[in-house]
Amino acid sequence: MNRFKTLMGAAAVLGAALISGQAAAFDLGIVAFQMSAETHARCSNTAEARAKEFGWDTQVLNSNGSLQTHAEQIENLIQKKVDGMVLCMSKPVQFDAQFQDAKDAGIPVITISSGSSPHTLFDVQPNEFVVGAEAAVYLLGTIDFEGGILAQRFESNAGARIRGIMLDVVLAENPTVTVVGSHSMARTKSWQDDVRNGMSALILQKAGQYKGIWASFDGQAFIIDDLLIESGMKKGDVSLVSIDGGQEVFRRIKSPDSMMTATVAVPLEDMATAAVDSMKAIAVDGKKKEEMVAGPYLFKPAILVDANNVDQYLN
Amino acid sequence: MPVKISTRNIYKNYGAVEALRGVSIDIHEGEVHAICGDNGAGKSTLIKVLAGVEMPDRGEVVIDGAPCRFTTPTESLKAGLATIHQDLAVAARMSIYENIFMGAELTKNVLGIRMLDKKKMRQDAAGYMSQLNKSITDMNIKVEELSGGQRQAVAICRALRWNANIVILDEPTAALGVRETEQVLELVRSLKQSGKTVILISHSMKDVVAVADRVSILRNGQNQIDLLAADLSADRLSHYILSGEVEQVQA
Amino acid sequence: MIPKHAIEKYGTLFAGLVLFAFLMVFAENFASTANLLNVLKQVSFLMVLSIGFTFALIASELDLSFANVCSLSAVVIGSLMQAAYPWPLAVSAGLAMGLFAGLLNGYLVTYLKVPSLISTLGTASVANGLAFMITGGVAFVGRWDPDFLFLGRGKIGPVPVIILFTLAIVALSFFLSTQTKTGIHLQATGENEEAARRSGINTRKSKILGLALSGLAAGLTAVFLVANLSSAAPQMAGDFLLNGIAATLLGMTMFTPAKPNILGTIVGALIIVVLSNGLVLLGAQYYIQDIMLGIIIVASVAVSASVLKRAAFAL
Ligand SMILES: Nc1ncnc2c1ncn2[C@@H]1O[C@H](COP(=O)(O)OP(=O)(O)OP(=O)(O)O)[C@@H](O)[C@H]1O
Ligand SMILES: [Mg+2]
Repeated sequence: MNRFKTLMGAAAVLGAALISGQAAAFDLGIVAFQMSAETHARCSNTAEARAKEFGWDTQVLNSNGSLQTHAEQIENLIQKKVDGMVLCMSKPVQFDAQFQDAKDAGIPVITISSGSSPHTLFDVQPNEFVVGAEAAVYLLGTIDFEGGILAQRFESNAGARIRGIMLDVVLAENPTVTVVGSHSMARTKSWQDDVRNGMSALILQKAGQYKGIWASFDGQAFIIDDLLIESGMKKGDVSLVSIDGGQEVFRRIKSPDSMMTATVAVPLEDMATAAVDSMKAIAVDGKKKEEMVAGPYLFKPAILVDANNVDQYLN
Repeated sequence: MPVKISTRNIYKNYGAVEALRGVSIDIHEGEVHAICGDNGAGKSTLIKVLAGVEMPDRGEVVIDGAPCRFTTPTESLKAGLATIHQDLAVAARMSIYENIFMGAELTKNVLGIRMLDKKKMRQDAAGYMSQLNKSITDMNIKVEELSGGQRQAVAICRALRWNANIVILDEPTAALGVRETEQVLELVRSLKQSGKTVILISHSMKDVVAVADRVSILRNGQNQIDLLAADLSADRLSHYILSGEVEQVQA
Repeated sequence: MIPKHAIEKYGTLFAGLVLFAFLMVFAENFASTANLLNVLKQVSFLMVLSIGFTFALIASELDLSFANVCSLSAVVIGSLMQAAYPWPLAVSAGLAMGLFAGLLNGYLVTYLKVPSLISTLGTASVANGLAFMITGGVAFVGRWDPDFLFLGRGKIGPVPVIILFTLAIVALSFFLSTQTKTGIHLQATGENEEAARRSGINTRKSKILGLALSGLAAGLTAVFLVANLSSAAPQMAGDFLLNGIAATLLGMTMFTPAKPNILGTIVGALIIVVLSNGLVLLGAQYYIQDIMLGIIIVASVAVSASVLKRAAFAL
């Protein structure tokens, strides 16, 4: 009996899915690598919204952070014969075979913050090296290039790792600043706990030895900010700088209770919109790729947001 | 009849519990030998020693005059003892033939690979079953779908399959109805008729006097009384078990 | 009237066929040769992995470590490929790693008498830790030896080689489990350990074998994954835990109801992968996939819960 109920359920959901996915407009497949990360969701949601403005059929898929799932979703979209693909936070070498297949099938692929591949049109990104350098220099500036800082790193993600490398580069040039404590986030699934455990220990241990805190992305900074608030700190006691942007971080920068000092806001919305716009220009309006983006990258500069300009970005 | 199997001064402790304290019993070839005794007397422990499920602390088992020491059930089986334990130990969700041939499956050679010979196992299983229970012909039926008596038949067929000379049954009729009990007793008789030695454990005095040639009564881990079953009544047997004493004439 | 036992045995298979027919009719491009080959390739990973889990479960041991062991094997392979060792060495090391983890589980369960639910969770955690230790959290990525990548990406004519490997593994596993003494001893051990032991079956050997096969299957899957993605990351097989268990549970609703069986697992894995492929082709949004998988798991657990309980808590 159970089986028949399941079957009925399956048929109903499939039927509903079918009805929602008809019409013959441009068919865009959007794949986000890990939707549970805010940046991935912002990226794919914006791309989807933009595509809908064009009246396109859009299908959003989430790879749940799994490389194999991501590969399979790209393969499935190729089999579906979509007219184009926009991929958020994909990876070039790992999915080389899939990108090649897409190219062979004549499906244009534009990636966002993924790195360039010979088989895709181009990659839209803020240039993580620039973003990382900006955040690092800003943080050191807030503590007058002197004293200790804490660092919350993330090595598994290429973008976050590059930001860390840029922090090291800036530190190498400024030996008067020392990293008194550093924690590297390992797990990607229960990363919140990981950050909370690692940083709460450091915050206690190194109390009084640091004036600034660097986090490789804003999600980590929120957890650190909450820990600092719990420990009774007040705005200005310590400077907290990170990277990514978004309403939550802007709210914290504005809030008198938060330690959040600044973020380098990655213009994900601009990037995703540009990706879809380029897709339209190339795949629908017949423009040459070279006319749109000559090289492998379309850079969208990031914006440093702090107390000065936060009102501009806070909704 | 000569002595087929003897236990000699078997001791077995479970921690502080002295389950067996020097059990010596002679069991004659081709006879049905009943072992009786109250709960906790050590009957099942003795059976486990014979079946290689438990190792005795002291003492030995002698078969056809040769001392044996069983460290695993396999060794006991190889020595010609097949034991049907109190709990039957059947795999309920496996088929009749799979249970009958468990651990001793038939194989055939296909291109040099040893494959299970399911067809032959089904045929042979049906043959064994027909000796005991004519009502079941489909050997693919799962044992969980069988009645208690039918399961008992499956367990006994497994013993038959081992072609064991000595068949041990631990309380085979405990959970059975009148008709099924009668079936099992009939099985015991037919085993005896085919020349097998049968060791039967039972709390039912009626059953014991119905099929046994000899009876040993265990008490506190020792065999206190050994007697011939001829002319023994169920009431007398109960009395012996309770009192632990017997008129000198019978020994 | 269809007899009850036929529904019990073939109900899920029938539902799977209905799903297949539904997709053939309603999902454009589903029935194309290219897509069917695509589906078969995609199912390979899950199928091999869940066949391993099924072998352990047949012996009534729950191996919750297979996904993490697979990730660890992947990372071992990746590290050797990255260090430019010959690929046969890397592959052998990956397989050996999986087999070793399986044997370790077997040892813990049979000699140290730690219930598999606990011991395999322990192994899973150790494997996860080791994977992070080896990688430092950073994935190995490279353009590795094409001969190695051929194992995962290669094709013979239009047929991905991985399908051929999987077919061989499936045939071997099916044969082992249903046609050999070893297979039926595995089953007898799982069904009634004491009965099996008293019938002269070496139950310890059976249990170790079941768990070792699970580990070996994890190692094999790791080879396929790493070769397919040309990369290795510490949690790359994490998603397979749930899907692998789901495939096996779904399989337990077929052929020999409530008993883990290889044929059922194969069909179970196929249903899961066909469903996720079909949903993409139908244009369904990403969350539908999670919902459907959840329904499948709950429904199949409801049917086969007792067996799982027995394996988990040795009831
Ligand atoms: N595995 C065990 N661990 C500890 N003590 C045990 C074990 N098995 C049996 N005993 C003890 O050994 C003694 C003999 O038990 P045994 O099962 O042999 O008795 P029995 O004569 O078969 O009883 P019953 O008629 O109830 O089946 C009892 O005191 C029992 O509690
Ligand atoms: Mg007993």
